[in-house]
Amino acid sequence: MQTSCGMVILTAACALSLSSITAEPITVRDAFDRAVTLPASPQRIVTIFASNTEMVAALGLADRIVGIEAYTRYPPEILDRPLVGGRLGFSVDAVVKLRPDLVVVTPARQAAHQLVDPMQRLGIPTIVLMQRSVSEVLANIRLLGRVAGVSDRGEQLARSLETRLASTMQRLKGRTPPRVVMITGRLGNGLLLVTRPGTYTGDAIELAGGRFALGGRGVIAQVSPEAIMSADPDVLLYAGSPADRDELIKRPGWSEMRAVTAKRAYAVSRVELLIPGPRTIDGIEHLAALLHPMASEQ
Amino acid sequence: MKVWLALALILVGALALAVCAGHEWATPFDLVRAVAGDADIRSRLLVEWRMPRVLAAAFVGLLLGLGGAVFQGVFRNPLAEPYLLGSAGGAALGATIALLVPVGVPQSLLLPLLAFAGAWGATVFVIAVSRVAGAVDAAGMLLAGVAVAAMLGALRSFLMLALSDDTISLQVVLSWVLGGVQTPTWAVLGLLAIISGACFGLTMRLAGGLDVLGLGESMATGFGLEVKRFVAWAVLAGSVVVAAAVAFGGLVAFVGLAAPHIARWFVGPMHRPLLPASALVGACIVTIADAIARAALPPAEIPLGLITAVAGGPFFILLLAHRLRT
Repeated sequence: MQTSCGMVILTAACALSLSSITAEPITVRDAFDRAVTLPASPQRIVTIFASNTEMVAALGLADRIVGIEAYTRYPPEILDRPLVGGRLGFSVDAVVKLRPDLVVVTPARQAAHQLVDPMQRLGIPTIVLMQRSVSEVLANIRLLGRVAGVSDRGEQLARSLETRLASTMQRLKGRTPPRVVMITGRLGNGLLLVTRPGTYTGDAIELAGGRFALGGRGVIAQVSPEAIMSADPDVLLYAGSPADRDELIKRPGWSEMRAVTAKRAYAVSRVELLIPGPRTIDGIEHLAALLHPMASEQ
Repeated sequence: MKVWLALALILVGALALAVCAGHEWATPFDLVRAVAGDADIRSRLLVEWRMPRVLAAAFVGLLLGLGGAVFQGVFRNPLAEPYLLGSAGGAALGATIALLVPVGVPQSLLLPLLAFAGAWGATVFVIAVSRVAGAVDAAGMLLAGVAVAAMLGALRSFLMLALSDDTISLQVVLSWVLGGVQTPTWAVLGLLAIISGACFGLTMRLAGGLDVLGLGESMATGFGLEVKRFVAWAVLAGSVVVAAAVAFGGLVAFVGLAAPHIARWFVGPMHRPLLPASALVGACIVTIADAIARAALPPAEIPLGLITAVAGGPFFILLLAHRLRT
């Protein structure tokens, strides 16, 4: 029986709703190794990207989020917040207008590039979070807890996620990892984007008991369909809808692949595996169930 | 004199408008309060962030205007533009390396340095190639420029595919290539002002030679100008100017092409007035284009080079049509 992430949030929020809010200055080091000091626990937080928004919300601080970016879809209660950016970049003006006392950003798209320098000049505390592995995602949750003055909640949430991870790994002990390719996107020129080792999604695949069928650490994210066919993985994962997966595997060449004939070409959730937040653990559990169906029945 | 006053007034107007423009428009009253030292965060945004950027945009435009006038003079071709000799491709390659390869040097320093080195290096390479190939005339240089630009473009695309990942996004590179003024600190802005002044002095020294060259190579030789030497010098000087513009503003299309033409309407073809006029026109164009880039589509920002290209493309076509008819 799996604990859903929502329940964890709820428990964490209820259990610790009375936890003290610090008025002491807080200093942390972020992913760019910058020392960031907050004069007090932040009350107006701009979270750039879905992952950062989800983590802050999972700490029970959704009501402190005052601004998000255009591709954030979860949790529902923050969707009415003003947007400070989207596909075409991020607006210093729009962030400043919200008068935040904390900006949380990840160096993806142009966000860190466009926001860190101006925020630093204007004296608005900004922390940069990176997520190259699942453990880094968990470390980010703890860091955000400390930054927001709710370290207990951060610790509790991270620990409960770690417990779930450990029990998944316990179940998978001794099982042979199937060879996996995960497709995360399709390019116009026919090339496919695949998950690489050394990323949190790659990490999630390995934690869920899979191993890479394709290439080593240096592999480029764009690969030709031919490379996937010749790697002939045991399991093919498609991050997207089942309809899109079907459309892909009906193409010439794909139907003969081992994973397709064995009906092990699965569509998997993009939000669980491509947003590095608390839901990544849900994703790992679901993935483990797909890769090792017998183990999850035990 | 009236012309200069008008140009200066237009520039001042453009600067004032640009400082007000943004996703959050500021009123002139806000500006006065901000400059007077108001501590509110919106006022500080105006002083610390928007003003340096607007001034940087003006300097970038000034440099492009100068560079464009020099290149059109050297090649005696109204369709010449400063990026022709590989500087765009070189700068883009340099910037791509700075953005994607972790070197351990702060990017704010590395990016302008590598962009400058790329722009300048590519032009020197083009001139060297055309010399080795024995094609020292303008047409030979332009063709060498096309070849080198193609090679550099391919190299850059490969680096973008190979090195970008989730954390270092293609969009950062792409948006740099599409042009965008980096907001400098006030100290760096001072440096940019000094560089712009030096570039202005450098190009003004070419004015006489460019006028003589405009009469044709044989006529220029008759006037005692060592044409080949002068052309090589002028191209190198022009590319320093363009490389400086590229280092601070990315690739801003069409300004270097259009500014000298607009300036000629005001001051005629002689280079002594044309160079400063073209610089002022360039400054006005980039200042206004940058304001549009920042204000048009909140909360997003449109890359500056796209604005100038959309506005400059039709201008280029008109120019071409006019030239073919006459």
